[in-house]
Amino acid sequence: MPVPEAAPSVRPAPTGRAGGTPPRSVPPAPTVSRRGRGGRRAERLAPFVLLAPALLILALLRFWPLLLGVNFSFTGDGDRDGLMVGLDNYRELLGDPLFRDALGNVGLLVLLLPVAVAIPGLLATLIYLRVPGHRLYRSVYFFPAVLSPVIVGAIFNLLLAFDGPLNALLGGVGIGPVDWLGDPDVAMFVVVGVHVWATFGMALVVFLAGFATLDASLLDAARVDGASLPQTVRHVIVPSLARTIQFVFVTTMIGMLTSMFGLLYVMTSGGPEGSTYLPEYYIWIQQGQMNRPALASAASTVLFLIMLVVGLLQISLLRRAVREA
Amino acid sequence: MSRVRWGRWLLALPMAVLALATVYPLVFTANVAMKTRRDYVLDRFSLVDSLRWDNVAAAWNSVGMARYLTNSVVVVTVSVLLLLLFGSMAGFALSQLRFRGSSVLFLCCLAALFVPFQVIMVPLARIMSDAGLVDTYPGLVLAYVAQFLPFTIFLMTSYYRTIPPEIIDAARIDGNDVYGVYRRIMLPLGAPALLSVGILNALFCWNDVLISLLLMPSAEHRTLMVGVTSLRGQYSADIPTFAAGVLIAAVPVLVIYLFLQRQIADGVAAGATKG
Repeated sequence: MPVPEAAPSVRPAPTGRAGGTPPRSVPPAPTVSRRGRGGRRAERLAPFVLLAPALLILALLRFWPLLLGVNFSFTGDGDRDGLMVGLDNYRELLGDPLFRDALGNVGLLVLLLPVAVAIPGLLATLIYLRVPGHRLYRSVYFFPAVLSPVIVGAIFNLLLAFDGPLNALLGGVGIGPVDWLGDPDVAMFVVVGVHVWATFGMALVVFLAGFATLDASLLDAARVDGASLPQTVRHVIVPSLARTIQFVFVTTMIGMLTSMFGLLYVMTSGGPEGSTYLPEYYIWIQQGQMNRPALASAASTVLFLIMLVVGLLQISLLRRAVREA
Repeated sequence: MSRVRWGRWLLALPMAVLALATVYPLVFTANVAMKTRRDYVLDRFSLVDSLRWDNVAAAWNSVGMARYLTNSVVVVTVSVLLLLLFGSMAGFALSQLRFRGSSVLFLCCLAALFVPFQVIMVPLARIMSDAGLVDTYPGLVLAYVAQFLPFTIFLMTSYYRTIPPEIIDAARIDGNDVYGVYRRIMLPLGAPALLSVGILNALFCWNDVLISLLLMPSAEHRTLMVGVTSLRGQYSADIPTFAAGVLIAAVPVLVIYLFLQRQIADGVAAGATKG
C-alpha cells in the first residue's frame, strides 16, 4: 500500500556496495587499492558490527525470556521451584475463577472490538470527506492518545467517583447515581470505554493514512452515479481500505490485550469482585503480589496463544469478508 | 448542492460534541486543580476566575514529584538516545547493505515486534534480578530499549530504503568506509525519521507504568507515572491537590504534543502504512 515501498525494495541491478566493489560505471582501481585486503574484511563484517547491539539486546531480552517463560510455565512455584510439574499450572489456571473472569473479559473485548474500530473508521471517513472543521477535529481527537493510561485513569477516577461530578450532573436530570467503577456489571464496560476514549485517535490517524492512498477518482465516480454516503462507504471505501481496516482490527485488539494495565491498575485494581481482570493484570498479580512466577508464566503463555489465535482469525475472517464484498 | 452542504453541517455537530468530550476531562481536571477544597465541594463545575497555584505547589512539594520527574527524564533521555543509535545502525545495515542472512535478521526483528511485554515479563524480571539490574537506571533503560527497539528498527529500515543508493555510492567513492557513510550520510539524512521515531519512543517510555513498576520497586527510583499512581492514596480526601498532581504529570506531554503534533501523527501513520 505505501508509496515508497515498491521502488526501493525492487532496486535495479545490485551494485554490491557491501562487498566493497564500486559500481561498474566508475573506475574500480583507486577505491579498492586504498582500502586494501584488511579493509575488505572489515567491510564484510561491517553489517554485523552495525547490527550487533540490536541483535544482542533482542536475543537476550526478548527471545531468550520467551523461551525461558514457556519452559518456566511447566515448573512449580514455592517448594517445587525448578521441578517439572507438567501441566499443573495450566490446570490451576483453568480452575481459578479470577483467571476465568480474565478470559471472559477477553471474550467481551472481542465482542466490543468492531465498535472500537468502527468509531475511528467513521470519524476518519467524515474527516476525509471534509466535514466543516475537519482539520481541528483531527488534532483534537488525537490528543488523548499521547497521555499515559495512568493519567487518563486518574482523570476518570475523578470524573466517575460515586460522589463525583458525572453523578452530580446525572442527578441534576434525575438519573443515577451509578457506581461506575464499583458495580461488577458496569465496571468493565466503563474501563473499556475509557480505553477507547484514550486510543481512538491512534486508529483515526492510521485510517487517515490509509485514506491518503485512496484513489479519488473512484469516489468521484460514485458521486456521479448518485451513490449515497452509506453506499459509498460500503462499496468503495471499505473494499479499497481492506488492508488498513485489517491492520486497525489487529492493532486495536493487541492494544486492548496489552495496554490496559495502567487503566486497570489505577481505576479498579481488577475489582470489583474480579470483574475487571484481564490476563495481563492476572500475570502482574501472580508475579508481583502472590509470588507465583511459574503460574504467571503459564498465564503469559496462554495470553501469547490468545493473541496469536485472535490475530490469525481476524486476518482470515477479514480476507473472506473482503472477497465477498 | 445546498442539500449536501446542510448534511455536512449536520454531521459536524456530533463531531463537535465528541471533540468537546475529548478535551473536557482535562480542562475539568485543570480547573479543579485551581480550586480550594471548599470551592470544589460547593461547585465542581464553575470555572475559576483566577489561577491559584497553591495546590500545584503542594502536590509538587509533598510527594517527591521533583525526584520522580528527574528519574523519568534521565531514564527516558538515555533510552531514546540508545534506541535511535542502535535502531539507525541496524536500519542502515538492513536496508542498504547486502550480506548473507539480511532478510532472516530483518524477519527476526519483525517477529520481536509481536512479543508483548506481558508475555516475557516474568522471566525478564528474573534475568534482570540475576544480573543485579533490578532497581537500577541501567536495568530500566535496557528494558525500554529492548521493548521499543523492534519498532524503531522497523521504521528506520523502511525509511532508509527510500534513500537512493547512488548517494551512498558517491560517498564511498569519496573514500568513506561503511562507518563513515553511516556517520556522514545516513545519520543526517535520517534526521526526519529519527525525530519522529524519537518522539514516539520518548512518549512510550514516558507513559509506561508496567515495566517501571516491575523493575523499579523502590520509592526513591520511581518514575513519574508510577509516582502519579501513588497520588490517589495520598490525596483521596483532597481532590484539588490530587488534580494538581495529575496536571503536573500531564503538562510535559501536552507541551510536546502542542509543538510536535505532526511528527507524532506521522510516526504512527508510517508504522501503519509501511507494513
